[in-house]
Amino acid sequence: MKRLIQFELRKLFSRRLTQAAILVLLLFSLLSNLSLYQGRYAYDGDSQEGWGRKAVEIDKAVAKKYEGILTDKTVARMMEDFKIDEEKDLRGANAIYVYENATQSAAFLRFAASDGSWNGKSVFEVFGQEKIKIGFIDGWMSVSQNLIRISLLLAVVVILMTAPVYCGEYAGVDALIFTSRYGRTLCPAAKAAAGLLAAFTVTAGTVLLNLGLGFCLYGTEGLDCSILFHTVEYAERGVPFNLTCRTLLAYQVLLAFTGTVSTAAVTLFVSVLSKNPLTALAISGGLYFLPIVVSVAESHPLFRYVVLLPVYHAQFCSLMSVEQMKNGLLYAMWALPFAVLLTLACTGLSLSGWRRHGLF
Amino acid sequence: MELQTIGLTKKFGPKTAVDHLDITLTGGVYGLLGANGAGKTTLMRLLGGLMTPTSGKIVWNGRNIRQLGEHYSQLLGYLPQQFGYYPEFTALDFLLYLAALKGLEEGVARKRCRELLEAVGLSRESRHKIKTFSGGMKQRLGIAQAMLNGPRILILDEPTAGLDPRERVRFRSLISAFARERIVILSTHIVSDVEVIADQILMMKGGQIVECGSLGQVLEKMQGRVWECPAPAGQAQELAAALHTGSLRNTPDGIAALRVIADASPMPGAVRVPPNLEDLYLCYFNTDGGHSEPIPRLEQTGLREKKGARMR
Repeated sequence: MKRLIQFELRKLFSRRLTQAAILVLLLFSLLSNLSLYQGRYAYDGDSQEGWGRKAVEIDKAVAKKYEGILTDKTVARMMEDFKIDEEKDLRGANAIYVYENATQSAAFLRFAASDGSWNGKSVFEVFGQEKIKIGFIDGWMSVSQNLIRISLLLAVVVILMTAPVYCGEYAGVDALIFTSRYGRTLCPAAKAAAGLLAAFTVTAGTVLLNLGLGFCLYGTEGLDCSILFHTVEYAERGVPFNLTCRTLLAYQVLLAFTGTVSTAAVTLFVSVLSKNPLTALAISGGLYFLPIVVSVAESHPLFRYVVLLPVYHAQFCSLMSVEQMKNGLLYAMWALPFAVLLTLACTGLSLSGWRRHGLF
Repeated sequence: MELQTIGLTKKFGPKTAVDHLDITLTGGVYGLLGANGAGKTTLMRLLGGLMTPTSGKIVWNGRNIRQLGEHYSQLLGYLPQQFGYYPEFTALDFLLYLAALKGLEEGVARKRCRELLEAVGLSRESRHKIKTFSGGMKQRLGIAQAMLNGPRILILDEPTAGLDPRERVRFRSLISAFARERIVILSTHIVSDVEVIADQILMMKGGQIVECGSLGQVLEKMQGRVWECPAPAGQAQELAAALHTGSLRNTPDGIAALRVIADASPMPGAVRVPPNLEDLYLCYFNTDGGHSEPIPRLEQTGLREKKGARMR
């Protein structure tokens, strides 16, 4: 079985299209992270401003001053320090956007009135009983946001890679396989295992690259800070829970794996039923993006079920939004067992479909 | 060792590809001959377990092959008419993969693969990617994979297609050596291959076996019915169309030699010659009605022999 899986993996990774797709995925990850990094702008409200590395240094320095659990005292200090000086700041511009992605922006977003002065709210009024640890979270938030984008591309690569697993053999090798001893037994199992393993490996590689880039570009600062003190820029603003960046990323990575592995399983099933890899690719791609194309509103009751499908594992913020709760249990929690069930069911159906192939 | 088909029938909609076939195969090489659409490939796919029969069954040593399942596959070597391959795999990798599917231990598989690559003349190209292979090389690789597990039943559908004469001779020797204590079923349009290596000839038409026996036995009924007729080259085509002609050979001196199948001398100057398998094949498949149709004499065709035309 091990040898068969090795051969199936070689088949998968030796295809030029697969190699090109993986290369594009990794390059996209690299360029996307670097362009976000280079495009960062920071202004310390006083004398310093800069782009890219300089911006990160400025943002880190500002965040360092207020690092720790957010208290009313910290808020007062921040509001005093960040006060808009009409001489220096752009007249009429919203402070949230003047400061872009930094601590200032997060503070203004929650504690400032429209003229930039303190809105009078306490930490309790904004965050309730939650203990909010603040710090430089912007770097890791941008890594997380980037992962959302990359996860969609990752799914496409996985579909591209696994679509020919079964139907690629129908071009003439199937007769050789089916007349061999393990052609209808171990072979389909090895194919399924290789397909899922390949999806897992590519996901792991992509995730490692992105997290690695995160460490290189932003360091470890902010990993233990709350995502609730984010700026307006991020999709994660829909997540209402007091998670640290580390927990958020861990859950996001977990959902990236469940999303791609279950996508691979669905594609394998489609592959067994399709006549050729192109058909399998088109159908699998269509099925994957269907929930987005059909666009069920988040408030619609059906969305709670649609949201469990693999495409929403990539768009994990939707899974973790407060609308997706029932009896205190987040629908995101259902996504994991659902992905496991979907993977098992589709894999089982693939094996069964392959065993019956051609026997008419 | 006995492979038997009992009332084997395969239908595709209204078309019957294999029609109530009852044959028993024991050791040796069986040459399966038939025109396109005669049902050869369907029969081979049925014997290979790639299709389920509409009715009837295939029995190996008294047991239905459906019940034997994996055990039957272990006995089987199969080369389809057209097979796919993995372009990025080398010849050795391709064989090793199929050896793994056939359940061969890795060490045994490596040894066997090298032996077979040597036997089919691909040992020097064993590390070359298959996408660089010619059609003949791919075909030889296909033959090697079919023999990997030392099968008791070897099914070869058009194995010599694409092979040059030297490769065909090599293939014949390989099969002859391999066929001891095994059943080899060989389907081909190349009649000479069957003539040389088949112990038994099976001629298939309309999904049924119409001739079965050794070469001598199947040619028996053709004895005295094959004629070589001299004709002026200018008239040869017309004569060939009018008579039941097997082959036509033009000589440099303007005289053509027609190989005609007829119950009686088809024209003056015709010389009776010993029949060969090609004559029998053409007798069945040259016309729709086959040999049962009355074979015309020259006088009935309205053509006349040109004076002076003689066989050389």
